[in-house]
Amino acid sequence: MEFVGNLLPHLLNGVSLGLLFALIALGFMLIVGVMEVINLAHGSLFALGAYVCIFLLSQKFPFYAAILLAPLLVALVGMVLEVCLRRTYGKDALYGLLLTFGAALVIEEIIRLAWGSGEKQLLPPPELSGAMMVGGLIYAKYRLYASFAAVILILSLYLFLEKTPYGAMIKAGAHDSEMVRALGINLTRLRLFVFALGTALAAAAGIVLAPIWGVRPHMGVDAVVPAFLIIVLGGVGSFWGAVLAGIMVGVVVGVTGAYASEWSLMSMYLLLIALVTFRARGLFGKKTALEA
Amino acid sequence: MKRRKLLQMLAAGAAFYGPWKVHHAWAQAGQKKPLVIGLTMDASGQYGASGMDERLGAMLAIREFNEKGGVLGRRIEALHMDTETTPATASRVAERMITRNEAAFLIGSLHSGVANAISQVAQKYGTVFFNTNSSSPTESGRDCHRVKFVWDGNGTNFNHAIVKNAMRVNGKNWLLLTNDYVWGHQTSKSTRSLVEANGGKVMEELMVPQNTRDFSSFLLKIQQIKPNVIAAAVGGDDIKALRQQVVQTKLDRAYAWINNQQDWPDVYGLGPDAVFGVFGTTWYYRLDLPGVKEFVAKYQKTFPGVQIKVPGNVFLNGYLATRELLRVVEETGTTNNLAVIKKLEGRKMSARDRMQHHDAWIDPATHQVQQTIYMASYNDKPAEADDIFKILANVPPQDVVDADAPKACKLETYEATPSHEA
Repeated sequence: MEFVGNLLPHLLNGVSLGLLFALIALGFMLIVGVMEVINLAHGSLFALGAYVCIFLLSQKFPFYAAILLAPLLVALVGMVLEVCLRRTYGKDALYGLLLTFGAALVIEEIIRLAWGSGEKQLLPPPELSGAMMVGGLIYAKYRLYASFAAVILILSLYLFLEKTPYGAMIKAGAHDSEMVRALGINLTRLRLFVFALGTALAAAAGIVLAPIWGVRPHMGVDAVVPAFLIIVLGGVGSFWGAVLAGIMVGVVVGVTGAYASEWSLMSMYLLLIALVTFRARGLFGKKTALEA
Repeated sequence: MKRRKLLQMLAAGAAFYGPWKVHHAWAQAGQKKPLVIGLTMDASGQYGASGMDERLGAMLAIREFNEKGGVLGRRIEALHMDTETTPATASRVAERMITRNEAAFLIGSLHSGVANAISQVAQKYGTVFFNTNSSSPTESGRDCHRVKFVWDGNGTNFNHAIVKNAMRVNGKNWLLLTNDYVWGHQTSKSTRSLVEANGGKVMEELMVPQNTRDFSSFLLKIQQIKPNVIAAAVGGDDIKALRQQVVQTKLDRAYAWINNQQDWPDVYGLGPDAVFGVFGTTWYYRLDLPGVKEFVAKYQKTFPGVQIKVPGNVFLNGYLATRELLRVVEETGTTNNLAVIKKLEGRKMSARDRMQHHDAWIDPATHQVQQTIYMASYNDKPAEADDIFKILANVPPQDVVDADAPKACKLETYEATPSHEA
């Protein structure tokens, strides 16, 4: 009984961490699912979101305005990247990989040039800061708010994809882009929008995670690897697969962190190996892109 | 001759002579083959920020020598390659620098696994290697080499300065938070042995994998264990994330924290709140010692655009190590590696010269610089924004000697070390 009592906080913490992992993977999943582009610049855009937010705050923007505006500004960068990517559509996937990898390096260096190589801080406002007691243990308030923000963003994206005509077009585009084009839908514009949305989500994740992980130019590396892993684990293109995989990764990392800490980072890879061994398509890999 | 004409001629002469004096030295230096120094410093990975800081230190020393005409009449060329905080990369970089770029000496390292990898390659070729900032006790213990010199204090030195006092003040039940690589392991091993030797108990040791960004499960576990003292041997970007998350949960106030060694780039920019607990360092930019103010001013003048506005221990180690190497080459009159090594072994360096409280020396048995260790904590009365450390005490090197290092260190003989001249 004591063991269960001790385990419970770690399970809850794992779910909270998992929601943040799912948030990191969301934009990545959207772009992979709809455009079949593995966006290796996802991590750099994640970092750029945090930096742009810090910049806006330094320009005296109110906190809540800055966290809303920063993803939109980063989405513009994503749109430029999508325009560059157009020449790679229909070609070997390696072209897209190389281009986004190059873009990741360029964005990271731009961050270094603009903001320097050192550590930056993105402090949440006082009402989101501080500690609280959960079951006799001290827990950072911000983590709960961050998990809540992740839930809001996940649900918003789900509702957008499921309940709006534009969401239907995106899903249709993921299924059969030629048919969508034949129906008179402007596929070029659709792809531009999807890329911008995926980029904005990457930036939003960077902003949410910044007060926890800290802000440094290479922070994107810490995001892109789990994002990639979660997409594969959840099944490429599956919305709820990515969310569930994120939570699973969070729980596994959280629990191993407490009971076999040296395995805490390795555990997510072991989980992937274990799952892919038995189900190569991932959790919901059967269903194709964005069919929640 | 009119007075005005005379003054004009004098001015013209001075204008010519000034640069000529410098250019003359350069011209002489330029006739000889440049002396290549390989800077094996991280620009990415866990210690990327610190790697860039120590590189600036090395560059400042090289610049000072080049302004004087180089060393032995040869211009010094610094060659930097990113070791990526990865031992395998570091081995490749060292091999390439020595064999292709003809680097006469190698300088730089933060990660002890990286330092060990470089030193193995360096020993194979007999290339003198200065480990500037990695501080695992193994570096001057079981992984020592004839060609390697260790410039930082090690985990055991810092523990000697901190542990006993922390046990007396905070209690005997300790928890170790250990970065899961050689420096973390060895430093925590040293902490454990000191704690147990003084009647304390290590309740748990939590391993922190490198590149951990989320410490929430560790912080929950700590609360479940309820130690008196948490001794962290966590470095680089990991300690930055840990510090931020400890502050967010206010656990900095709930427990006594000891951080074995706090490197300046790992704490600079995090804000004063992130500095908590007691920690060790080898230098602080506001030490009230001769030369410190001038050194800080020189740093700020030389590197006006850098984010770290005042130099710290990592920068200083990079600077002092490089300067000492060049001095030794100059004094020896040769770049022959064995001659340089012999000159370095047992070398004494004055406290004033190193801007520390006590004289330092290079232990000939371990090749580690024995130096002053400072105990520090958060500064609640800062004189300026960057004044975030309060120096609690300075401990002379003889009081913090790592007695196990000479037993573990088996330096290769001179005969077994390839001899070469660059």
